[in-house]
Amino acid sequence: MIKIFTATALFICSLLSAQGQFEQGMGKAFQLWGAGKNTEASDMFERIAAAEKTSWLPNYYVALVNTTTAFGTKDKEQINLLLTKAQNALNIELAKTPDNAELLVMQAMINTAWIVYDPMTNGMLLSPKNMELYAKAEAIAPTNPRVILSKAEFQIGGAKWSGIDTKPLCVQIDKAIALFATFKPETPFSPKWGLDRALEAQKNCGK
Amino acid sequence: MKKIFTFIILVCTTTLFSQSTLSGKVVDEKGNPIAGANIYIEGTYDGASSSETGDFTFVTTAAGNQILVVSFLIYETSRTPIEVAHFTNKTIKLRENVNSLDAVVVTAGTLEAGDKARVSVLKPLDIVTTAGSAGNIIAALQTLPGTQNVGEDGRLFVRGGEANETQTFVDGIRVAQPYGASTNNLPTRGRFSPFLFSGISFSTGGYSAEYGEALSSVLLLNTQDEPDQNKTEISLMTVGLGLGNTQKWKKSSLSVNTAYINLAPYQAAIPQNVDWNSPFQSLSGETVYRYNFNSGILKVYAAFDASKFDLNQESVNYTDKVRVDLNNNNFYFNASYKGGFGTNWQLTSGLSYGYSKNKIGLDLDDVANDENASHLKIKLKKSFSDRVKIAFGADYFITKFNENFTPNLASTSQSGYNSAIAAVFTEADIFFSKKLAAKVGLRASNNDLLNETTVSPRISFAYKMAKNSQFSFAYGDFTQTPSVDYIKYSKYHQFESEKASHYILNFQYNKSGKTFRAEAYYKDYSNLVKYDTSSPVYNSVYANTGSGYAKGIDLFWRDGKSFKNLEYWISYSYIDTQREYKNFPIQATPSFVADHSLSIVTKYWISDWKSQIGFTNSFATGRPYNNPNETQFMNGKTKAYNNLSFNWAYLLTQQKILYFSVSNVMGTQNVYGYDYAKNPNASGIYNRKAIVPTADRFFFVGFFWTISNDKKDNQLKNL
Repeated sequence: MIKIFTATALFICSLLSAQGQFEQGMGKAFQLWGAGKNTEASDMFERIAAAEKTSWLPNYYVALVNTTTAFGTKDKEQINLLLTKAQNALNIELAKTPDNAELLVMQAMINTAWIVYDPMTNGMLLSPKNMELYAKAEAIAPTNPRVILSKAEFQIGGAKWSGIDTKPLCVQIDKAIALFATFKPETPFSPKWGLDRALEAQKNCGK
Repeated sequence: MKKIFTFIILVCTTTLFSQSTLSGKVVDEKGNPIAGANIYIEGTYDGASSSETGDFTFVTTAAGNQILVVSFLIYETSRTPIEVAHFTNKTIKLRENVNSLDAVVVTAGTLEAGDKARVSVLKPLDIVTTAGSAGNIIAALQTLPGTQNVGEDGRLFVRGGEANETQTFVDGIRVAQPYGASTNNLPTRGRFSPFLFSGISFSTGGYSAEYGEALSSVLLLNTQDEPDQNKTEISLMTVGLGLGNTQKWKKSSLSVNTAYINLAPYQAAIPQNVDWNSPFQSLSGETVYRYNFNSGILKVYAAFDASKFDLNQESVNYTDKVRVDLNNNNFYFNASYKGGFGTNWQLTSGLSYGYSKNKIGLDLDDVANDENASHLKIKLKKSFSDRVKIAFGADYFITKFNENFTPNLASTSQSGYNSAIAAVFTEADIFFSKKLAAKVGLRASNNDLLNETTVSPRISFAYKMAKNSQFSFAYGDFTQTPSVDYIKYSKYHQFESEKASHYILNFQYNKSGKTFRAEAYYKDYSNLVKYDTSSPVYNSVYANTGSGYAKGIDLFWRDGKSFKNLEYWISYSYIDTQREYKNFPIQATPSFVADHSLSIVTKYWISDWKSQIGFTNSFATGRPYNNPNETQFMNGKTKAYNNLSFNWAYLLTQQKILYFSVSNVMGTQNVYGYDYAKNPNASGIYNRKAIVPTADRFFFVGFFWTISNDKKDNQLKNL
């Protein structure tokens, strides 16, 4: 009787702690990221990813943290390292679920960072790939505000060069903002970023 | 109930709070601290990032024996079994990851172009945006060091080697007939449109044991793995029309390209140095089908090309012009599979079939020939670790050639040959460290036509002595069946393979958009074919007694960063070479060699004009020629060669491009060499005729339109 009882107690404990562990870990990683400790945050996400093979979120955040860090970095070698790390993490999840719109947007974001890194070489190569990624993401998740926003932003970025009309793209930005209002993330840690960026883009559209 | 609850809490706290503290330091192979490494217990969230001094400390609830993982991108991830309770102040050494981007690369002899190359001398776009190249892969490669610009021929001549000493491979499989058909001093061009290829690797010597039957050089073309999107491309040019379409499905894709070229309208508008009866016309097409398996890719490539022309050529031997007409049909098919299996095994396999049929009328004589050539190949590669990879494989080449020569009013004589070459090769890639790497290989081949077996060692090293610079050295023995011009008369295994040894020392410096490359080489030729008549014929006496050497320096500088919107590169080659081969009475420099060659290529993007403007200047010192009026053999030298080409691509809209190019802007009167009369005239002098370009200048205007969903892609890369 005691044995059964202890076993049950242990089982409940492990459940409680495992459940709490993921939340706690993710929470800590977000805390580090929020405090600007990007390397530590990325490492934390990486550790969670190594332990939780069933969730795509930790690797997604490894990619997101490193890519956004790359956008703010000047040192070319450093950018190279950050983007390689982001790509490696994303590849793991893309292999499991190639039709996840958030992952596709993430891939396009890494590509955009490469375009910024060397526009002459990578622009021609990756721009069409990005348009394809956005088209695929939009087909999967037509009401995901990050898909709409990122696609419009990317095209506005290219407009300086190609001279295409940005008005319809600004309409898309407005649409994204409206979608942010109704968007419900699936879990507390699912991606929900983008509204700030959309509002920023809207401001630039007004000019 | 309360008791139960207390019990659960008690159990929970004990399982949760039996903690251990781990600490240590992460260092590299030299003992320097590594900052930012991720240290953790496998399967848990417990871990830390190393500090600036490489130190780390963290607390874990895990107990007993665990695996400690330490990872950092540019190092190999380490996994150490540890006992949690006793892990304090331990030092963990990480080994450099030899796969990282800044590791040494064996570069001796190799010029890479394409997306996958780590150090690319040419970008994919360059093949086509280089002024003067007109979309011809070969012409763009002629702006690189180590090549000779032989304007009357058009093929690749590498480091003192004849054009046939360069072998072309598509996806690792040989292309037996890589050039369009041509004749007497009319330049040919490569058959391949740059459109379908994403990577080009051009080796000017010392290449891998995987490639055989090439004395001087290999040109490796790789078709795209995956096209970017569905699109249709339309080209309207002053010389013809082109149409391309790409379709993409979930796992597969298909690209088709066709072109019709007719030079008649162009030649009517611009006077030529050639008297055409029927100008050059060709219909060609290429297609690539790709299918992605879970762990591999199948590619099928096919190309056909039908061309003809008819012209009257002036000849120094006759008062009347000589009529030449040519009709060529060519078909090429290539299927290859590349995929992984098992643990770190990779299989590459493929086969090709090429068929070429020529009908040539020379005045009243007729020549008809056809060639069937096939290549089968299999290669296996095993990665034992990041540091040691071993590849081995086998090749089988089959060639069947037939020629009928029918002189005016005489009976037909026949020549030809059948050959089968079987070869095996093996090669090891070894990284001793991130700074030192070696490639060691061996190739053995048996040729049934020559009744001969040869063994060729290949070896190369690379050493990185500083962050941005490295040295490479390569040595290799190379053999090749003699040219079809001789072995079509082969009897009783009378020929032997021609041989060359390469010694190459290479230095490379590469930093943020700037590349400098210097290479010194020595090539030793032996067993070259000699004959005793004025041209090779069936009753010449042939012998493999010729020899020769080539030595020189190649320099290359590319810079895309110093000036905004400007990309440029400069190539310089110096060569000293002599051969005793063919019917040469003494060892001499062949007529296709210029001692000094210099190419300058520039590309300038003007955003206000939405235009890219490019200039290419090619300069070469004079080439030797033999003047029978002089006693000394090959004593003449032509004047220097210079050609300045210009191109302008204008984006009408994002997907419509207007393209204009002109070659030899300065109108330099270039002379490639001289043809001398077979017999002296009445006063005992041999008359001569200069070999000159078919036109002093070439103009080209084209309109290129791409139709795709994203409305962004365009054909700038094809120009």
